[in-house]
Amino acid sequence: MVKKKEAIMHVVILISTCVCIVAVLLICLFLLMSGVPAIAKIGPFRFFAGTVWRPDHEIFGILPMILGSLYVTAGAILVGVPIGVLTAIYMARFCPPALYRILHPAVSLLAGIPSVVYGFFGLMVLVPLTRNLFGGNGSSILTASLLLGIMILPTIISVSEASLRAVPQSYYEGSLAMGATHEESVFRAVVPAAKSGILSAVVLGIGRAVGETMAVVMVAGNQARLPTGVLRGVRTLTANIVLEMGYAADLHREALIATGVVLFVFILLTNLLFSLLKRGRKE
Amino acid sequence: MKRGLWILTAAALLLVGMTGCGREPKDLVNVVSREDGSGTRGAFVELLGIQGPDEQGEKIDQTTLEAVITNSTSVMLTLVAGDQNAVGYVSLGSLSEHVKALAIDGVPPTIQSVKGGTYPVARPFNIVTGDALIPLAQDFIRFILSGQGQAVVEANGYVSALEGQAFAPATPQPEGKLAVSGSSSVTPVMEKLAEAYGKQNPGATIEIQQSDSTTGINTVAEGISHIGMASRNLKESESQKGLKATVIALDGIAVIVHNDNPLTEITAEQAADLFRGSTLFWSQVQG
Repeated sequence: MVKKKEAIMHVVILISTCVCIVAVLLICLFLLMSGVPAIAKIGPFRFFAGTVWRPDHEIFGILPMILGSLYVTAGAILVGVPIGVLTAIYMARFCPPALYRILHPAVSLLAGIPSVVYGFFGLMVLVPLTRNLFGGNGSSILTASLLLGIMILPTIISVSEASLRAVPQSYYEGSLAMGATHEESVFRAVVPAAKSGILSAVVLGIGRAVGETMAVVMVAGNQARLPTGVLRGVRTLTANIVLEMGYAADLHREALIATGVVLFVFILLTNLLFSLLKRGRKE
Repeated sequence: MKRGLWILTAAALLLVGMTGCGREPKDLVNVVSREDGSGTRGAFVELLGIQGPDEQGEKIDQTTLEAVITNSTSVMLTLVAGDQNAVGYVSLGSLSEHVKALAIDGVPPTIQSVKGGTYPVARPFNIVTGDALIPLAQDFIRFILSGQGQAVVEANGYVSALEGQAFAPATPQPEGKLAVSGSSSVTPVMEKLAEAYGKQNPGATIEIQQSDSTTGINTVAEGISHIGMASRNLKESESQKGLKATVIALDGIAVIVHNDNPLTEITAEQAADLFRGSTLFWSQVQG
C-alpha cells in the first residue's frame, strides 16, 4: 500500500517537473522558430547594428534598444548596488535586533510591490523631480535608472545579506582578536569573504533590471533612436516589445519576437554568469 | 577597501554624468506622442499633415524622433499635466481639466465644433459591412444609429454622428451570434453599444475582436466577421470590394498643453511644426 502511494507520488512529482521543463522548452522553441527567421529575413547585421527603427517602412534596427537596455541597466546598478550592499552590511552586522524586525519585512515588502505601481510612482514622483532638478522633460535614462535602482534593491539586499551571514563567525572574531575595531573587521574581513555572494546579488539585480518592463515604459520616454544623454529618453528592448505588440503584424511582429530573442539571450548570459559565480563560491 | 573605492568612483561618475550634461534650455518644446501603429497617432499625423515624402518618395510619419512615446492615454495626460513645456494629443473623449486643449485655427475642440465639421482634427468612427447582412446585424446597426445607440456614443465622450430615432425592438427579435472586429479606437464604444443592445435583445451574442481598422475591414471582405470597425474612411480598393462604411460616431483629437502654458490657440501649421520637431522653442510659437 505504502509502496503504491509512493509510486503515485513519484509520478505526480515527475509530471510537475515535466510541466516546468516543457514550459521553458516551448518558450525557447517559440522564440527561436519565430524570431530567428525574422532576423535572417531582415539581415543579422541590419537588425543588430541598424540604428533606425521604422516599422511602417520595414526598417528594423534594434541597436538603439540594445544600448538603451544596457545604459538603463548600468544606471540601475550604479544606483542600486551601493545602497543595497551597504544596507545588507548594516542589516547583517550593525543593526539592533529591534530595528531588524522592522527592516526585514520592509525589504520584503519592497520586493512585493507590483512593477506597475513602481511605474506609477516613477511617473508621479520621480519624473517631475528630475525635471525640476536637472531640466529636460523628466522622462529620461536618469529617471529610469533611479526607479530601477530602487526596484532591484530587495534582490541585492536579500542575496548580499544571506552571503554576509554565511561568512563564518571565526573570520570576524579572528579580526577582532588581532585588534581591529568592529567596523574594520566587518569591512575588511567579513565583506571580502562574502565577495562572490555579493557579486551574485549584483548579477541577479542586472537580470531583474534588464527584464523590467511596465515601470520602465512609463518613465523612460521610449524614443527609438540612439541614446543622446542621461537627461534624454531612451527605449529599452522590453519597452519596444510592449509598446508595439498590440498593432504589429507580419514582419513587424516577427521583428518584435526577435527583439524578445535578444532579451532572452541577455537573461541567459546573466543566469550563466550567476551559476559560474555560484560554482566559484563553492570551490 | 577596494570595494569602498569602487563605490566612491561609481558615485563620482554618476554625479559627473548628471551635471556634465547641463540643463536644457528653459522653453524647449517637449513633444509627447503615441506609439507607432496607434490609430490615434495615425489619424493625428494624417489630419495635421505631419508626414512627407522620404528619399524614395514614400509618405512617412515625420513625428520627431525626440518625442517621448507612450502607449497609454493616461500616461500622456499625466506627462502633459506635469510638464510646462509639454505638448501632446488625446482623443476628445479623454480630455480632462488637468490639461489645456488648444484651439486650432481659431476653433476650439468641442463636441459642437466636431459635429459641425469646423474643427480640423476630427475623424469618423465607421462600421463596415458587406452587401449581404444577416438580420441580427441589421438590427444591431439599427440600434447603433438610433437615439439610444447615439446616446451611448455621447455618454462615452465621443460625438454622435446623427440625431437617431427611438429604437423599437423588432418582432420577432433576431437571435444568434454576431462577429464584430477592427479598430482598437472604436472597440471601447462598440463594447458599450453591444452591452446596451444586449439589454434590448437578450438572445443575441455579440463577439468583439480588437485589432486594427485594416484587419477589421479585411475580415468583413473575407466574410469572417459581419461588421468591421474602422477609425478611418474606406480606401478606394476597399469600396471596390463592395464594402460600405457607415459613420456611427465622430472623434476629435485635441492638441494639449500644460495649464500654465500661455498659448490658447495655434494654427494647424504651427501644430504640425511642433510635432515635426522643426519648432524647438515655445518662444518661436506666436500666440
